Amino acid sequence: MHHRIFFALIASWLLLLSGVQTSGPLQASAAGTTPTQTSQATSPVSSTGGSNSKQTAQGKLDLKLPLEAKSVRFAVIGDSGTGNNEQYEVARQMEAYRERVGFDFVIMLGDNIYGGDRPKDFARKFELPYKPLLDAGVKFYASLGNHDNPNQRLYSPFNMGGKRYYSFKKGNVTFFVLDSTYMNSEQLSWLEKELQTSNSVWKICYFHHPLYSDGKFHGPDLDLRKLLTPLFEKYGVNVVFNGHEHVYERIKPENGIYYFVLGNSGELRSHNLRRSQQMQAGFDSDRDFMLVEITGDKLYFQTISRTGQTIDSDVLQRQAKTVNAGKIRDEFSKDITAEEHLILWPAEAMP
Amino acid sequence: MNVLKASRTRTCVLLLVTNCCLLFARTPSQGSPRVNQDSLIIKDFENRVADYVKLHKKVQAEAPAPKRTDSAAKIKEAQVTAAPKIRTARPEAKQGDIFTPEISRLFRRLIATPLKGPDGPQIRASLRHAEPVDGIHLRVNAPYPEGVPLQSTPPSLLLNLPPLPPELEYRIVGRALVLRDVGANVIVDFIPGAIPSA
Repeated sequence: MHHRIFFALIASWLLLLSGVQTSGPLQASAAGTTPTQTSQATSPVSSTGGSNSKQTAQGKLDLKLPLEAKSVRFAVIGDSGTGNNEQYEVARQMEAYRERVGFDFVIMLGDNIYGGDRPKDFARKFELPYKPLLDAGVKFYASLGNHDNPNQRLYSPFNMGGKRYYSFKKGNVTFFVLDSTYMNSEQLSWLEKELQTSNSVWKICYFHHPLYSDGKFHGPDLDLRKLLTPLFEKYGVNVVFNGHEHVYERIKPENGIYYFVLGNSGELRSHNLRRSQQMQAGFDSDRDFMLVEITGDKLYFQTISRTGQTIDSDVLQRQAKTVNAGKIRDEFSKDITAEEHLILWPAEAMP
Repeated sequence: MNVLKASRTRTCVLLLVTNCCLLFARTPSQGSPRVNQDSLIIKDFENRVADYVKLHKKVQAEAPAPKRTDSAAKIKEAQVTAAPKIRTARPEAKQGDIFTPEISRLFRRLIATPLKGPDGPQIRASLRHAEPVDGIHLRVNAPYPEGVPLQSTPPSLLLNLPPLPPELEYRIVGRALVLRDVGANVIVDFIPGAIPSA
């Protein structure tokens, strides 16, 4: 009897040891790995890779975006403004990818400047780390986090136009930038009017506090979710980006809307995720940023760690049911096949 | 006789119905003084806020904040210039100048209502998840401490409070509701214990 228990224990340990590299996103760690090591590492999260993958030899960039002509390309950072080495390392990866991808703007998910708003804070936590990007003409569009002084809206490099909430358009995409630290009736009315009158093919909202999150520290803001999701669903918002929780999360589509949490471009709350049914992918062991390319009705994204490892990538179909204009839906849905849907959301990727 | 009796009965019934009608008709008018009282208190609050904003604008006119600038130094300079001018302009300001006892009572009620409702647990969860700020010694006219996060105010609470002009905002610090001058980063007034304990 004791022998059986002993062998069963040995067998389970061996199983655990052999499965540790592929057991899921939360156990994979890119921290401390060099770019050379990461190019050989097992991808910690579901990733399409496939024909779009341009992964090459050591030291080369692992690019998973199609780089189609006239596409909208941008980067995403959240909770970035620490001024620590890790923020600078993420910024260097961003610049390396910019040279290849050619994105010309970055969206900021809040907590842009931690610990004060003295001029030296702006220099050390924004102007210096992103200098190569700024020098290359890349524009940053900031949203306010709870660590940000609302006076940041006056800072031109954040392109907020002096407002706490605003919108801007790039190609067929409109971005609605909200101040989730202060969601008053005025802002809600503004958002509804903006969403209602927008005729963009893609509607993307971003703000600091996540509506869905498996982070242990904060979790989702349920009060905000109750107010915002009916508007998002009514007026066809396609994608929502949030920060605040210092991890990376991709949530399974909720009523046709894709939700991402990216709050670890400077800060990190290590091993802070608990996996739930709503999580599509997660990463909580290093900093990262995201690259996004939108072309037609497809959104390609690639999430890249501080060390250059691709920790998540996929292509997302714009969900027809979130589109309030039937004309647009017909135009962009006709070339979608069932096969593509299977590729986009493989059953085995579901937790 | 029977006719008279019947007539009396009819009259009694009629009187009873009339009285009932009058009683029900009076019910709303009995409630309206309460409603009017709340409106008066809110009007009083709005007037006090308007007076402060007048002062704020006067100070801003002397040292205008940049509309937009590449220089973080200019933004900071505008903030640190405005704050002492505001303090000088209201040297006797104290807690309760804007949030008078009457206004504070109404605000406490306005905050408690959604917290006691079906969404109360969600609102409290939002408060907990928003990096609660505590341990700050609140003083009217003092700056909101640099580097301390501004706790997000749950939207359900915000929607229940009288709206503010863009120069001012509500913030929660511990269990207090703070009225903050956004541009000058000054604590204008506060209500201690505005958030009822769970």
